[in-house]
Amino acid sequence: MSSRTTRALLTGKIGNRVIDIIDKKRGTNWAGRQAMKIDPELISHITGIDPAKVLFITGTNGKSSVTNMVTHILRSRGFKVVSNVEGANLITGVAAALVKEASLDGRINADYCVFETDERYLYKIREQLSCDNLLVTNLEKDQVQRNGDPDFVYRKIARVVDRFGMKLFLNGDEPRSCSLADRTDRAVFYSVDKHDASFTKDDTFVTMPCPKCHRSIRFDYYNNDGMGSFRCENCGYTNHNGADSADYTATDADFTARKFCVNGTEFPMPYDQPYMLYNYAAAACACKELAGVTEEESAAALADFVLLEGRIETLEYKGNHIKYIRFKQENPETLQNFINVVAADPEEKTVVIGIGTVEDYDPYYINSFYTFDCDFSRLKDANVRKFIFTTDTIAYDAANSFIYGGADPGKIEILPVSDEEKILEAIAAEGCSNVYLTIKLHTFEGMKEFARKEK
Amino acid sequence: MSDKMINIAWMYPDTLFLHGERGNIMALVRYAMELGLTPHVRRIDLGTEDFDPMEYDIIFYGPGEISSFRAVMEDIAGYARPIAEYIASGKVLIATGTTMSLFGEKITRFSPDAEDGRGEVIDGLCMIPAESFEREYVYGNDLDIRAEYNGYSMELIGNQIQMTDIHFSESEGYQRFGSVIYGRGNNGTDGIEGVVHNNSLFTNMLGPMLICNPWLTVRILRTAAEIKGIEVEAQDPEYKLEIKSLGLKKKFIEEKQNNQEK
Repeated sequence: MSSRTTRALLTGKIGNRVIDIIDKKRGTNWAGRQAMKIDPELISHITGIDPAKVLFITGTNGKSSVTNMVTHILRSRGFKVVSNVEGANLITGVAAALVKEASLDGRINADYCVFETDERYLYKIREQLSCDNLLVTNLEKDQVQRNGDPDFVYRKIARVVDRFGMKLFLNGDEPRSCSLADRTDRAVFYSVDKHDASFTKDDTFVTMPCPKCHRSIRFDYYNNDGMGSFRCENCGYTNHNGADSADYTATDADFTARKFCVNGTEFPMPYDQPYMLYNYAAAACACKELAGVTEEESAAALADFVLLEGRIETLEYKGNHIKYIRFKQENPETLQNFINVVAADPEEKTVVIGIGTVEDYDPYYINSFYTFDCDFSRLKDANVRKFIFTTDTIAYDAANSFIYGGADPGKIEILPVSDEEKILEAIAAEGCSNVYLTIKLHTFEGMKEFARKEK
Repeated sequence: MSDKMINIAWMYPDTLFLHGERGNIMALVRYAMELGLTPHVRRIDLGTEDFDPMEYDIIFYGPGEISSFRAVMEDIAGYARPIAEYIASGKVLIATGTTMSLFGEKITRFSPDAEDGRGEVIDGLCMIPAESFEREYVYGNDLDIRAEYNGYSMELIGNQIQMTDIHFSESEGYQRFGSVIYGRGNNGTDGIEGVVHNNSLFTNMLGPMLICNPWLTVRILRTAAEIKGIEVEAQDPEYKLEIKSLGLKKKFIEEKQNNQEK
């Protein structure tokens, strides 16, 4: 190992220690960035890694959850796993995770490496780190300011698959990512059966172009926005790339008893949002294919699984029980999930929606596009006492989109502010203790802080 | 059939499916009804065989992926002459986002492997004098323009997610749709946004632009009705929410501009 790599490793290790002292839970690229400034090829100089035991997890939604789940299951089985579970998914995040576990001579002593990878950085990461396994959760509309369209991301991933020939673990119910199967003879599919929360959309909604012939994809039903039983009537493309069934299928979902099955084995359901079924199925698939962990072993491990981020958080404020659900403003799926969760609760409720500016990249901008891809119809019978729309940029547009979607204008209050205190005051003034909230994370963090001081 | 029927063709909604453009159809339907018209929307998919443009009063194309352009072009080629006649007759065609490029002369795709970045060339429909180049990187931002449509001047705020830069010079019969107040417009250099030819408009503005700018929606509907010979007696609707929204967005854009200048 060169002295440059040694210096890079030492720098990265010190950087990781500093970050640990500041905030242990914080996913960071920082330490990796410092190390890679010294040795830009650092990852390729780390030894002791068996490519057959490396898994990259990428896709639009769910990659953090699946990475956390796979890592948890493998560790529960006694395996030593290197992973970026904190969510730093750029090449520098992968470097930071590897540096942390590497010895001073740059050797990794682990059974498996499981890395969440940003779709756009996948090629760069794979160039430096040999990996035989790639799991793609789904490829949907997302972050248009940097991706433009979903095909842009598809092409990025396809380039990696074409050059490096990896074994693919694919969501057999999501048309675009599923079609990556055409690029390998080693595709394994996971899937979810129709369940109580499955839904349909009428033909006033758009679906997507067939990734093979560009004509319409039809969904018989959705298990999750953009995923379900699909077919192209022109070229015949259908679920799991035409195979009769997926290799791993989540069935018999019971959201009340919080359980489901994969290939006949009963699993606990630690998080009961329907979209999590795809993450569970993906994790069971990856663990068995990668490490031979049986469905029974995965099920046992899942019983005490805790997700680091993404679950419903709660906040108590002046007798109001506020359920916060994170959403990604730049794709329709997470807003649709919020709507579905709200609609599934029969109790009377206040719903607070804070769609704001998109602040991922410069320039920040206004984007309320995806409200029009979402189906609000189930909110009509969802016992909503009041909708409150906030933010000082898009409150009126967001309210308008719900009115177009069928919401009663008489139940709508528009509060064009982003101030945490005023939002909490409006919630308290409404006087309905059952509250659902979706808003930017940093606004919610501010609301939590304000509520804590008020106690 | 109502004598106030406005027929709207929603072109390839599952293929030109990006950015919530369904909202634009909803806005056309809503404001048609507010003007006392009877809107009828038909989805036209790739492969629909009985599509006759002249049966419609408004034809709407949203933005789609460039990878779908060839399939879309092949389909449009099947009715290229009728669609040219439709535009020439003064009827309303709307193309938003990247789809505007299809109606130009050619689209040059970006190639990371080519020295000059220029790759495959896709022939356009040659219905507007414009040429497009796929960008290496996407440009996404707000777009604020002063637009001119059928004799009316209005401010519009929306978004553009620019996958292609478009070069267009005004000539007789082909005017700019708008002048850029903030944003990129056709290419970020000449201050021109979009193209208007007769009553058809081609714009980079995308997303639910007709929801957010209903004063344009109403102009479009009045134009379509006029061309069809329908008399619209109703006054323009009130746009309370939308005007308040425009105010918030203008403030946000002004703050961005001020920060850029600092």
